[in-house]
Amino acid sequence: MPPYVLPDKCDGCQGEKAPLCELVCPGNLMVVEKNTGKAVCREPGDCWDCMTCTKSCARQAIQTRIQYQLAFYPGKLIPLVGPRSVTWTLVDCHGNVERFIMRTLAGEEDDEI
Amino acid sequence: MARERVYIDADVLIIGGGTAGCLAAYEARKVGGDDLKIVILEKSFIRNSGALSAGMNALNMYLNQGTPEDLVAYIRYDMCGAPVREDILLSVAELVNETVAMMEKEGLPIKKKADGSYLNRGKWNIEINGSMLKPITANMAIKARARVYNRVYVTDLIKVGDAVAGCVGFGVRDGKMYVARGKVVLVCAGGAAGIWRPRGHGDAHHRIWYYPFNTGGSYAMCKRVGAKMVGFDTRFVPVRTKDTYSATGTLSIGMWAPMVNAKGEAFMEEREEYAKLGGHTAPTPLRVWAYCREMENHRGPCYMDTTRGDPERVEGLKAQYLDMAPCLVLYWACNDINPGREPVEIDAADPSIVGAHAACAGAWTIGTSRMTTVERLFVSGDALGAAPSRFISGTWTCGRLAGRHMVRYLREKQPQLLEISPAEVDALEARIFAPLERYQKCSFYTNGEPVEGVLPQQMEWRMQNIMEEYCGGRSRWFYVNETNLAIARKLVNRLRREQLQYLVAKDTHDLQLAWDVINRLDVCQLVIDHIDYRKETRYPGYVNRTDYPEVDDHNFDCFVTSVWDPETDELQFSKEPYQQIVPGDRKSETV
Ligand SMILES: Cc1cc2nc3c(=O)[nH]c(=O)nc-3n(C[C@H](O)[C@H](O)[C@H](O)COP(=O)(O)OP(=O)(O)OC[C@H]3O[C@@H](n4cnc5c(N)ncnc54)[C@H](O)[C@@H]3O)c2cc1C
Repeated sequence: MPPYVLPDKCDGCQGEKAPLCELVCPGNLMVVEKNTGKAVCREPGDCWDCMTCTKSCARQAIQTRIQYQLAFYPGKLIPLVGPRSVTWTLVDCHGNVERFIMRTLAGEEDDEI
Repeated sequence: MARERVYIDADVLIIGGGTAGCLAAYEARKVGGDDLKIVILEKSFIRNSGALSAGMNALNMYLNQGTPEDLVAYIRYDMCGAPVREDILLSVAELVNETVAMMEKEGLPIKKKADGSYLNRGKWNIEINGSMLKPITANMAIKARARVYNRVYVTDLIKVGDAVAGCVGFGVRDGKMYVARGKVVLVCAGGAAGIWRPRGHGDAHHRIWYYPFNTGGSYAMCKRVGAKMVGFDTRFVPVRTKDTYSATGTLSIGMWAPMVNAKGEAFMEEREEYAKLGGHTAPTPLRVWAYCREMENHRGPCYMDTTRGDPERVEGLKAQYLDMAPCLVLYWACNDINPGREPVEIDAADPSIVGAHAACAGAWTIGTSRMTTVERLFVSGDALGAAPSRFISGTWTCGRLAGRHMVRYLREKQPQLLEISPAEVDALEARIFAPLERYQKCSFYTNGEPVEGVLPQQMEWRMQNIMEEYCGGRSRWFYVNETNLAIARKLVNRLRREQLQYLVAKDTHDLQLAWDVINRLDVCQLVIDHIDYRKETRYPGYVNRTDYPEVDDHNFDCFVTSVWDPETDELQFSKEPYQQIVPGDRKSETV
């Protein structure tokens, strides 16, 4: 499920010290291009689908798409990361929506981290 | 062209900030005190790197019952009763529950039963919400105030006399040369993915089971400094969910979903030939072998039959997979698959070379010291051989033990930093950056590809084709014999000896890919020669030898080890005796 970046949402992480997706990608695959100022996955086939970039993006500009050779279009899986949980929205190809809230860290949601 | 250099000196130098590396740093600080200088060199970003990067939903080493000895007996059984390093496994099993309790305190959510105890999955596993496993693990290194250098790709160890003095590498982002010295050096850069041809192509060529950015650096670096290596005849063959190759423990042990063939037969129990090997709980290689036989005999497709599983657990299946393999959940959604109502199709993936999962590859270590046969060189995690099935929790623990042993070594032996000759560093610099330098001199075709060179990806494909076709890939059902091993050896050695001089890299990202293929080719050598040396079939499913289909206890009930000879570029083989510590029948479990 390589990441694809929506140009209207990506702002190249202007406010950050370093662009977040570029900072975190284990495969060194995400780069903010100089001429556009926006992120791109340099080689979608090299991605392991760990979704770290997608979860890290402050503007939800990254969509992970399942490889078409493996599955049909247009399902979606969107994570929204909270302090101690992540909320996943799963939309299948027919538009049916399921939501899952998964714990990520022990403790109460509003405890300080 | 002279590169800018970064020189680093450490007491404890750790290569690879993963599951083992982070906990090694933590423990070294804890027992070594405030003044110890701990450095981690990490090729990507420590918070999210390594096998844990997508998260995991279970810790596969935990004593829910029984004793450490029982756990070791189980691990031995699960490797078909083959020799394993029981001393090392015992040292891990004795400490693993304590490590897990510590990691829970550090924030890891562990699922609980109504009575407050951990929710077990089978006998030796517990369930977790592990999507943040790596950040929690990395935090242990940060807490230990290890100095972490991210995006430094380590290419080679440096030996001075009999001892390891440090390592060299390059900055993946800054293009600098890194020269690091350590009084002790720990290699824990994971196992090796991408040796065989993957099932997916194009944008799915990394949709493989193992983490594709661990590319055999641990093994290649240890081999090249002459450390004794072991276990490369055990390839781990993952039978996983078809297409996404996501873990199936969630289905098999988690909800007792049996493997079934096209006729709906739960073949492990219903077919006599597999039932007598242990049925659903037969050793891992034998379950792989049984699946392959069903497919070869045209009784596929095969499935994990979730409809026969525990209905309560099947309910939460998607949620469980979101914690470790979100791609599978999207795959189901996009293929109209409801795993609660229909069986989940499975398939065998390309083999991986690992030492901490259910296989034995790695460096040989002396006693329980975690030190290799090269002085001052320690290994842990997937890099440590002959002690399988440590998994996450055992790898954390093994990392801690490596940390302790390194500190002990520093105290007892008082080693000092060794001088590395400037000429050697210059030579290493030339070697590291050679693919970049060559690219500068290339002319280019109209499509931008170099005329006078081979791109890393192209060499990777060639290597994967050779290994697939002559060293028993998934399309060959993991069969090998002397004839095709000889072809594999000839072709791989030609790549290693004659073709690397054409490898080119256009930037430091590609330089990383170039070193991935250089390291993988060294792993190929280890794999081909170790498989060839073991003239028997001890782990059917992982390696099936058509020329030696039986177990040969007389010659091979032992560890097969090799040391690389730089003069001849050949491996020198020897055997190490197996020492049984936990008494009893090696082919049965004790609890
Ligand atoms: C898909 C999958 C599923 C698994 N599921 C489970 C499970 O459910 N439960 C369980 O208990 N275990 C599971 N395991 C096993 C467990 O994850 C591993 O055994 C363990 O994480 C290995 O730890 P390690 O420290 O050896 O490697 P890693 O944690 O991968 O660390 C290696 C580190 O070295 C770095 N590195 C690599 N090369 C270089 C280099 N040249 N220079 C510098 N740094 C480098 C990497 O970036 C990485 O940070 C699974 C493994 C996989 C792959």
